[in-house]
Amino acid sequence: MNPAVGLFAFLAVSLATAVIGFYGLRISRTTGDFYVASRTVPPWWNASAIGGEYLSAASFLGVAGLILLSGTDALWFPVGYTAGYLMLLLFVAAPLRRSGAYTIPDFTEARLDSKLVRRVTSLVVVAVGWLYIVPQLHGAALAIRITTGLPSWVGSTAVVVVVCLTVAAGEMRSITFVQAFQYWLKLTALAVPVIFVLLVLAGNGTQPQAPLPVNPTGQGAAGVYQHISLLVALLFGTLGLPHVLVRFYTNPDGQSARRTTLIVLGLLSVFYLFPTLSGALGRMFAPELAQSGQADALVLLLPGKLVGGMAGDLLSALVVAGAFAAFLSTTCGLVVSLSGVISQDLFGGSVRGFRLAAVLAAVVPLGFALMTDTLALAGSVGLVFAFTASTICPLLLLGIWWRGLTDAGAVAGMVTGAFLCGGAMVAGTLMGPGNAPAWLAQPAAWSVPAAFAVTVTVSIMTKNRVPASVNRVMSRLHVPERPVATER
Amino acid sequence: MTRVRVTAPRQSATAAPGRLPYPREVTEDSDAGRIFIRSLIRSQLRLALVVACGFLIILGVIALFLVYGPGVAETRIAGIPLDWLVLGAGIYPVIGLSAWLYNRAAARNEARYRDLVEDK
Repeated sequence: MNPAVGLFAFLAVSLATAVIGFYGLRISRTTGDFYVASRTVPPWWNASAIGGEYLSAASFLGVAGLILLSGTDALWFPVGYTAGYLMLLLFVAAPLRRSGAYTIPDFTEARLDSKLVRRVTSLVVVAVGWLYIVPQLHGAALAIRITTGLPSWVGSTAVVVVVCLTVAAGEMRSITFVQAFQYWLKLTALAVPVIFVLLVLAGNGTQPQAPLPVNPTGQGAAGVYQHISLLVALLFGTLGLPHVLVRFYTNPDGQSARRTTLIVLGLLSVFYLFPTLSGALGRMFAPELAQSGQADALVLLLPGKLVGGMAGDLLSALVVAGAFAAFLSTTCGLVVSLSGVISQDLFGGSVRGFRLAAVLAAVVPLGFALMTDTLALAGSVGLVFAFTASTICPLLLLGIWWRGLTDAGAVAGMVTGAFLCGGAMVAGTLMGPGNAPAWLAQPAAWSVPAAFAVTVTVSIMTKNRVPASVNRVMSRLHVPERPVATER
Repeated sequence: MTRVRVTAPRQSATAAPGRLPYPREVTEDSDAGRIFIRSLIRSQLRLALVVACGFLIILGVIALFLVYGPGVAETRIAGIPLDWLVLGAGIYPVIGLSAWLYNRAAARNEARYRDLVEDK
């Protein structure tokens, strides 16, 4: 690929993000404006914003790469990423909106009336956020290396710098419209090149080099255990992601939170058609990418390879821009929600503290990203979902639906889940990819039930610690808002 | 008007004005109110579990069918293998339909609760 194309696309997206960050603050002037806006943002915009923040490097690059490598086994990833929102809708969306909580630690403190639970939850949320940022930076490193030939660290460092500047200068959080725009940018950046490639291939009658069902690297099919464990992780991990949760606050009430989630499901379903198509095209027309270890870059390389010339360059620029939009928007969303948590718990919630926290939230994962190698993006994000499902998911689900949850149970469950799932992740990494047994590589199937079991058991053992406010909080979570028409 | 950075919820007034939940006297502070709320929560939980289990069963059946179904590996529709078509596109409408049905039923549960409270 022409290096200038990649560099130009990257600079344009970074500049646009930074400019929006600097001027974005002016859109929402006062605290009041922000909260008023929360009642006027229509579900469509809100849903696009959630989609914009959720679709990360794993969805944009990783899914297609994994499909290239392992075919139908990888098709379960987008299914899980989407169905995770169904679980979020069923168990979390409306009650969480009604709780009025802004972050997961806020929710747990209000529900369990305990500072200790708040602290532990904050730690877990920060861990989840950091783990989730690392693959975004790996994606950036890969994209900059493949498209411009610059060293990998340039990509991840550049993303962190842009994100720090943006978040410290003006908060992305209040700018629903920007995130909403990001969704449509990502969809266009993925859909247009794929459709164009399809048309070109149909036009000149190119014959496929390899049949669709055969894995290009001869990789064997995944077992039943891996599928189940992956689905557990993705279905129950989504509802605990800190940057997704924040978005639900901008819904006016519980009902519209549900409506928004329904639209998100539609948007995600449409989006995932295109990584799937890219992956399928890659298997048939560019299987050599799987051999050279560039599978995750498939989406970026496909237009240049199959179309070529001026049109290929333009399409490549579009895909690269979309990819960086994905890294930047997800990282921004995560850094904002992390720095909210860090600054409240560590720096007393001041503006200066928020800026410090933002830098902290972005630089630590950069260190991790520079020290570790790019794994398969979709796979490493899958592990983060497993971690979230083993720690935050039991707390949220039991907190919303079970009066018997106590602070001791919540802490014990989170610590158990973090220890089991984190331990498996570390052990799996130390053994190296491919060497770890399936139960270590995909821990969710046993670590999630274990975390639930410990939370419930310890809560029952410490029955006397059920907070006195439980009835009031539960009715707040579940009672529908008074409809406007019947207001006094 | 000064510009204020919003980094946390308003501790005092988190619910949007004009949309407060029902007054306390008909909700958690009376026996009848407590029973209404408990039954609302129970019906919402039952609904969520039914939809979740239904969806997971459908997912499981699809997965088993794709692995063990007779002739699935050879079936092609418009040149695309059946398993690719089902997993790559066919499952998504099922997810959307489950979500839509759930939304309708959940809103109906809430309407029923509202009627109960207003009859009082």
